[in-house]
Amino acid sequence: MSESLLFLIPLLPLCCAVINMLFGMRLPRLFAEIMAVTGVAGAFLLTILFWGYAEGEGTRVVIFTWLNSGAVDVSFAMNFDRLAAPMTLMVTGVATLIHLYAVGYMHEEEDYARFFGLLNLFVFAMLAIILADNLLVLFLGWEGVGLCSYGLIGFWYRKLENAKAGTKAFLVTRVGDVFLAIALLWLFAATGTLNISEINAQAASISPGVVIALSLLLLLGACGKSAQLPLMTWLADAMAGPTPVSALIHAATMVTAGVYLLCRLFPLVSLSAVGMTAITAIGALTALYAATCAMAQREIKRVLAYSTMSQVGYMFMAVGAGTVTGAMFHLLTHAFFKAVLFMAAGCVIHLAGDENDIYKMGGMARRGPVELFWVFLAGAVCLAGLPLTGGFFSKDGILLALFTHPDPAYRVFWLIGVLTALLTAFYTFRLVYLVFAGEWRGTGHPHAIPLQMRWPLWPLALLGLVGGMLNLPALVGGDEMLHHWYGDLAGRAVTASHSTEWMLIGFAVAIVALGWFAAHWRYRNYRPPVENRVSRFLLNGWQADALVDRLLVRPFTVMARFCSSGCDRSLFDGTLEGLAKMATRYSALLVQLATGRATTYLSAFAWGFLVLLGWFLLKLVNGGGH
Amino acid sequence: MNAFANLPQFPWMSLLIMMPLCGALLCLLHGKRTNDCRGLALATALATFGVALYLFVCHGQGNERWLLYEDVNWIPAYGIRYVLAMDGIALLMVLLTAFMQISAVLLAWRVERHVGSFFALLLLLESGLMGIFLAYDLVLFYLFWEVALIPMFFLISVWGGEQRRRAALKFFLYTLVGSLCMLVAIIALYQINGAQTGAYTFVIGDLLKTQLTAAQEGWLFAGFLAAFVVKSPLVPFHTWLTDALTEAPAAGSLDLTGLLLKTGIYGLIRVAFPLFPNATADFLPILGILALAGLFHAAWSAYHQDDIKRLLAYSSISHLGLVVLGLAAWQLTAWEGSILLMVTHGITTGALFVLVALIRERTGTRSMQELGGLWGQAPCLAALFLLFSLASLGLPGLANFAGEILVLLGTFQEHPVWAVVALLGVVFAAAYMLRLVQGVIWGPAKAERTLPDLTMREWLMLLPMAILVVWLGLYPAPFLAPLHGAVATLLAGGLP
Amino acid sequence: MMIPFGHALSFAAALFVLGLTCVLLRRQVIMILIGVEIMLNAASLVFVSASAYWQQVDGQVFVILLMAITAAEVAVALAMVVYLWRRKRTLVADEFNGMSG
Repeated sequence: MSESLLFLIPLLPLCCAVINMLFGMRLPRLFAEIMAVTGVAGAFLLTILFWGYAEGEGTRVVIFTWLNSGAVDVSFAMNFDRLAAPMTLMVTGVATLIHLYAVGYMHEEEDYARFFGLLNLFVFAMLAIILADNLLVLFLGWEGVGLCSYGLIGFWYRKLENAKAGTKAFLVTRVGDVFLAIALLWLFAATGTLNISEINAQAASISPGVVIALSLLLLLGACGKSAQLPLMTWLADAMAGPTPVSALIHAATMVTAGVYLLCRLFPLVSLSAVGMTAITAIGALTALYAATCAMAQREIKRVLAYSTMSQVGYMFMAVGAGTVTGAMFHLLTHAFFKAVLFMAAGCVIHLAGDENDIYKMGGMARRGPVELFWVFLAGAVCLAGLPLTGGFFSKDGILLALFTHPDPAYRVFWLIGVLTALLTAFYTFRLVYLVFAGEWRGTGHPHAIPLQMRWPLWPLALLGLVGGMLNLPALVGGDEMLHHWYGDLAGRAVTASHSTEWMLIGFAVAIVALGWFAAHWRYRNYRPPVENRVSRFLLNGWQADALVDRLLVRPFTVMARFCSSGCDRSLFDGTLEGLAKMATRYSALLVQLATGRATTYLSAFAWGFLVLLGWFLLKLVNGGGH
Repeated sequence: MNAFANLPQFPWMSLLIMMPLCGALLCLLHGKRTNDCRGLALATALATFGVALYLFVCHGQGNERWLLYEDVNWIPAYGIRYVLAMDGIALLMVLLTAFMQISAVLLAWRVERHVGSFFALLLLLESGLMGIFLAYDLVLFYLFWEVALIPMFFLISVWGGEQRRRAALKFFLYTLVGSLCMLVAIIALYQINGAQTGAYTFVIGDLLKTQLTAAQEGWLFAGFLAAFVVKSPLVPFHTWLTDALTEAPAAGSLDLTGLLLKTGIYGLIRVAFPLFPNATADFLPILGILALAGLFHAAWSAYHQDDIKRLLAYSSISHLGLVVLGLAAWQLTAWEGSILLMVTHGITTGALFVLVALIRERTGTRSMQELGGLWGQAPCLAALFLLFSLASLGLPGLANFAGEILVLLGTFQEHPVWAVVALLGVVFAAAYMLRLVQGVIWGPAKAERTLPDLTMREWLMLLPMAILVVWLGLYPAPFLAPLHGAVATLLAGGLP
Repeated sequence: MMIPFGHALSFAAALFVLGLTCVLLRRQVIMILIGVEIMLNAASLVFVSASAYWQQVDGQVFVILLMAITAAEVAVALAMVVYLWRRKRTLVADEFNGMSG
């Protein structure tokens, strides 16, 4: 297989997306659905086929020139290297399963062409981010995922709240994109190139102050897409979209794009200690914040949304601690178990008659197909970090990296990570108990669950459970496959004495047990929800929306009115109107001279004649005098 | 004049100017036969576009400074010559003009009253625009400047909306005041140059060699600026545009935003900057600040609007603020980005104005409070609306992004703060554009309507624009290629 | 010369001023025209006395010309007066202000 065919990997989903969007409604429905799934499945197969090209230094393919002006010479080019390959495999694989799920989930939807077109376009954009050779193509994919997210969150546009949620997502992530764009411009000015490999190679020669600024800007850019503080308000509302969208975009792929960006530019970002601390701090604070909010949520998907925010915080902490392997490991396992959780949640919502509130569910274990409970439980234990699951190994790897970091300040972050793990276990089992245990509390009528919605859950659940094999630590006899695959891209090698590692593992097990116990004690037998100020505060995400509204949205609207009515109408137009009025008034004054009467004009002649006569006489007198 | 020695002899440029003029005369004479008029106008527009396309494909892909040149003695007693010159920048502008006029003619297909006069004015406007972009003699430039002004006035005041008289008068007086300042400056420059060299001439190439004192240069530059700054438009001289665009008939709005605004910026590039380099160098920081102010002021004002046409008018001002910022950076990449952005802005905003006209025809309203849910009623229309809105807000892969990113990359090299501030304006663009999209195509339908989707004529207008939007976003290289030679020389000092 | 030139000129000046006063102060159109006549006669007087002073006959020739012009002008003016009367049944000059503003 020629390496120049690598561009087919992102091209396949793009073509299927375009065909679906343009002609999808005219094709038979099955054809459109098959095309959508094939687009992504084909990309998955191609990735496996071309896997060999990623080894060593990777393979670079240039497609055509995009912009060529002066010093700017940017092409559409992709770089299939060791960092990109596992991510591509994960994205295409999980996307294929979610596409299958979506075929079942949306089988009653009439506007299927738009949905599948957007879903495929999203996969293309995500692949553009992953495989980008230069920052401009990455930016194209970056904005592309934002666009598709906007279109898919607001897919059921007839309800205005959905459209507004989509707009909010787009705008908040765009704020993050501004910071990324500033970093892009600055990098071009500093290094003269936008090529990622060249930037990484030249990173050491950029002045330290600039490096700190750049890493902070990149961090803020990543925060936008990954829904970290302070740009996180869009993720919870994004659950207004269909469940396959939440599973794909807001669990596995788009929210991890920020982490991927930081890993891609790791040689640059890791040069500044301030930057790394900032990344870890943001990750830690977000993880804690999101975990507290998840404890009080009532809608099943919002719990999972905040949980995603929290887990992505862990990934940020890993990057800040210096280990790319840790971050990517958690990224991969999280993709598996969070996707399965979302998809199972979609099944649960169907069974509850389109009811989202977990307090109105219960007894789902008996109401639905038996596998639903086991699949959901599999995802839940991975999320909580039960020993030997994939989630356990990946989370533990991050906590180890934080604990063993040379800078002792990182122990604080480690502590926050542990606390968050406790809360994670708590809210995860809260969810499981409220949804599956006890008696059915709801009133809705269940919808049947199509086959396509059920069997994609199994591979993902299994992958989540055994995902630890990807990077099994040497402590338990594993070979750290992922770490060795990444080689010199892996960041800091995390080493610790065996006793430290066992101590930390024991600690983690104790935390999970404690969290489970607390949830069991409180939620095993149903109690009505508590409504007090604390729970409302947590439910509304620490009133972040209200804060943003008061600090940003309202001043913006006031300024808009000022500019439009105050400035344009009153000041600029007012000045012109004033000038026009002055002219009219002056003209009115002058008009008084034109009386239309002959006698007035005759008087004017006489006076004028007098003045002229006087002037001539004066001239005569003066001239005669000299 | 050696730079002009090896250029083709056939008078292509005069053809570009004369063809629409003849078409206009014929339309005027046969005004009663509406179908013939429409066909004639469309044929003329297509023929002009054919010539422009030929020039672009055959002569435009090189790196030379000048592409075409024509020189005929006109009024020797005053040194006025009929000189036309085309370089890469003019070529792109001419191509854009020819392309947009086809859409304008198609958009005006359903005009009821005084059909012959309408098309005649439209074609006269095209002729004037071509002249502005091609003229190389100052009197000729001024002549075409005014020729482009008068049809616009009549288009607005006869076929426009409710407040048309006021809007047309405001437009006319505002731009005329600027033009008269420019006329005074032209004559003064002519006199000064004549007194110095003994050869009284109006040709721009010859006037470049004039030696001016600082005071003279400042005043003359201000005179030219008065005309160009009003036409650009630069805040705070922009209030005529919002009224004019809102009240103009559909084809008039298309021409106004797509083409007439570009003449101001083109005038800066072709006339003002090369003739007065020292005054330009002093003025550039102010120009940059004004451009940024315009970017934000217009974006904020756009957010407040309820009338979608007015919102798009403000968005035009905002985009052109970014264009002028690129010019003020005085950097190669930024200039090429600015010119590309001018072309792409013409197409995207023009397409949006077409769609607004179509929506108005179908629903009878332009207010966002009464619109909504259009996607369910007319999916193709709504999908194109979304496409062009996304292109307008600068989504990578679509038209405006290519120009914008080049402007930002170039500006950052010279004035990083400006580029950062301009990026913030990008968020504002997303805010008002998404508000527009949400108000028009998402949400529940506010009134029960059955709307016809796009007809063949409307597809003919919009499909080429959609294809161009994607093409320019992904592969703008053939449109950037003609610019290299011209821009490099203009930045270095401008001769010849 | 029998009469000093200065006397004739002052007389003509006084006559001119009287004519001017008549034009400016009278309201009736016909009286204004009479004032104009008086001014014209004053001018003629200047011409005649100048011709007598310098012993050139040109002044007197011009007076004959002036009389002819005056006669023609009076004819036209009186025709217009008749028309004005028919329009508004009044001959007060101030009434005819249709060109105001």
